[in-house]
Amino acid sequence: MLESSSNAAAGTLLGSSRRRRRFGARALQGAVPYALILPVLAVIAVILGYPLYWLVKLSTERYGLFELIRHQGVSVGLDNYRSVLHDQVFWRTLLRTVVFTAANVTLTMVLGMLIALLLVRVSAVVRVLLSSGLVLVWAMPVVVAVQVWYWMTNFENGVVNYVLTQLHLGDFFQHDWYVTTFSQLSLVTLLIVWGALPFVVITLYAGLAQVPPDLVEAAEVDGARPWRIFRDITLPILRPILLILTSLSIIWDFGVFTQPYLLIGQSKITTGNYLMSIYLFEEGYFKSDFGRGAAISILMLLIVALLSVVYVRKMVRMGEAPT
Amino acid sequence: MKRRSIVALSLVVVLAAALTAATSGATKKAAANSITVWLQVDAQSGWPDIVAAANKQFQADHAGTTVNVQYQNWGDHLQKFDATLAGGGGADVIEMGNTEMTKYMAAGAFAPLDKSAFENSANWLKGLAASGKFGGKVYGVPYYAGSRVVTYRSDLFKKAGISKLPATTAEYAADAKRLAAKSSKKGFSPLYIAGTDWYVAMSFVFDYGGGIATQVSGKWKGLLDSPKSIAGLTAYKNFFNATSHASKTTDETHPNPYDVYAQGGAASMIGPSWFTCCVGAKFKGTTAQFVMPGHVKGQAIPGFLGGSDLAVPVNSSNKALATEWIKDFTSTASEKALQAKGNIPNATNLLGSSVNERAASRSWFVPTAKHWVDVENGNVLRNMLAQILSGKLSIPQAAASASDNIASVLNQS
Repeated sequence: MLESSSNAAAGTLLGSSRRRRRFGARALQGAVPYALILPVLAVIAVILGYPLYWLVKLSTERYGLFELIRHQGVSVGLDNYRSVLHDQVFWRTLLRTVVFTAANVTLTMVLGMLIALLLVRVSAVVRVLLSSGLVLVWAMPVVVAVQVWYWMTNFENGVVNYVLTQLHLGDFFQHDWYVTTFSQLSLVTLLIVWGALPFVVITLYAGLAQVPPDLVEAAEVDGARPWRIFRDITLPILRPILLILTSLSIIWDFGVFTQPYLLIGQSKITTGNYLMSIYLFEEGYFKSDFGRGAAISILMLLIVALLSVVYVRKMVRMGEAPT
Repeated sequence: MKRRSIVALSLVVVLAAALTAATSGATKKAAANSITVWLQVDAQSGWPDIVAAANKQFQADHAGTTVNVQYQNWGDHLQKFDATLAGGGGADVIEMGNTEMTKYMAAGAFAPLDKSAFENSANWLKGLAASGKFGGKVYGVPYYAGSRVVTYRSDLFKKAGISKLPATTAEYAADAKRLAAKSSKKGFSPLYIAGTDWYVAMSFVFDYGGGIATQVSGKWKGLLDSPKSIAGLTAYKNFFNATSHASKTTDETHPNPYDVYAQGGAASMIGPSWFTCCVGAKFKGTTAQFVMPGHVKGQAIPGFLGGSDLAVPVNSSNKALATEWIKDFTSTASEKALQAKGNIPNATNLLGSSVNERAASRSWFVPTAKHWVDVENGNVLRNMLAQILSGKLSIPQAAASASDNIASVLNQS
């Protein structure tokens, strides 16, 4: 774009060579920033643009096992999108996933905020203990964490059933935690929130350090209650961080795959407990319908963009506002 | 300052999204004198010695070759296979379940093979040979078959005063009561059956004359909601409730029935005959097997005839060597060794009279439809069983919904 506009400009200025040279120098100078970001753009084009191009192309093709073996799809226009959008399972899955994501993100943010606030108040020893605990959770590979949760909630001899029974909360012997979709997804939510907390807490804790103590003190002198201080001082200062964390959480939780797929288990996955990423995986890979799978993933991409656009817009606006 | 930090943070968001989207994959070109073999873990846990013997024979015949055996899981081996069909670097020989073959043969995923090159190929087991044939060409070499039998603890049966093995499912249910009465272990299963073990459940359906699906003038029609199938499903539910304390929602590998058995949690279990491998040293001496009875005296319950084929992927760069390896792995000696491990060998002339082979006398098989594998992977039957056993839906409701679902999947183009 830059090149073509400078060419056009150069064309109208053909008459004066001096001016042209000066213009050339200026254009060169103007091009420097663009040249500097060129390598980054090239890398992004290669690692994001190229696969994205193929994804879009694939989504307009009939591409099943037959086509896969021949490395040659058959163009079908928007048929894949049409078929997905006419699939009742898609809409039910979408609704389920939105509710699931909302529950996960809300829990993560609220609990994360509370623990971060706690972290500020506790003594140094407890803070070290608490944050090392958090880092340990963070360091645990997802697959390992899923396996541990799976064992804990095991039907035959899981420790959760044992402890709940020992606490006289009822007879949980051989309680099956995977009977209903609700309880399956609740377990997945617990696991995801548990795994997501460390990042949120530590980031928010760092953000809390930015709250000027004298401001809080002044508010206290003026008789402000803790809730008021939190609402009118802490929260506004943390807002940018909260926005970023929330939009990141939305992106992660909307597309989460590993935890639900492994914890619920392949043999219990049905259209009745699909989340979007599992729907994509089952339709695309299990049924070897890669074109339709590509269409689903593009729709997912659009939905995530839509979900986070509110936050991104706010973020950008805040960046532009004078401070 | 603030603006810059926000720009930086936005970049983090973009990068994180990019990382989430990016996946990694590596492909490897095989050397000319090496072949890669994908076998299922059953071989790794059950008969690694037979694999090693075949490799040794193969390498003796083809000096300087190497065989790279990679063990796969039933759960995800097809996804891996799809990936190698697209990207290359996969196996030269692949083990396929007999219910998985049709879809791949129809898509042209395998190289045709010359049947006469393999030992005993004139006498291959009919059911297995049929699963490896498509459009008049042979793509799959029968590897082995297996039926499902009851593995039980004779000491517990004796303690419960059961002098004669059950001859009908009703007798078995009565025996279960006696076995349970003699056990003090909480959650003890006289006969461990995983709730969604559809191989067992469908055996009941077939025992009562029902079925899964049938082809009516070119179109598939679901049969699970037929009165006979519903009678079978009802019998399964009652039998499960009388004999098993397993989870109503779990499949037959979570946990492995033999693990429950080895921990003393069951007096008997249904499964492949090689289950004796893993019953634990404590119970090895008192473990025996019998053929699962049906509801009519003197008749075995129809069992699922499972089995595996060996095929050569169409993109293998070493098809000739791959075929040679299959030849060694399905030789008479190899098949005899498989038989000794409790499997059914691939040819009728090798058949014996083991409990496994007797159980195969009445057997059923899944509908031979291109899209059957989608029904399996979609857990249609498992979901139906979980609904029936947990009481979420009535048997006719669950069966009708599953039946419609199966018909629509099988009738896809």
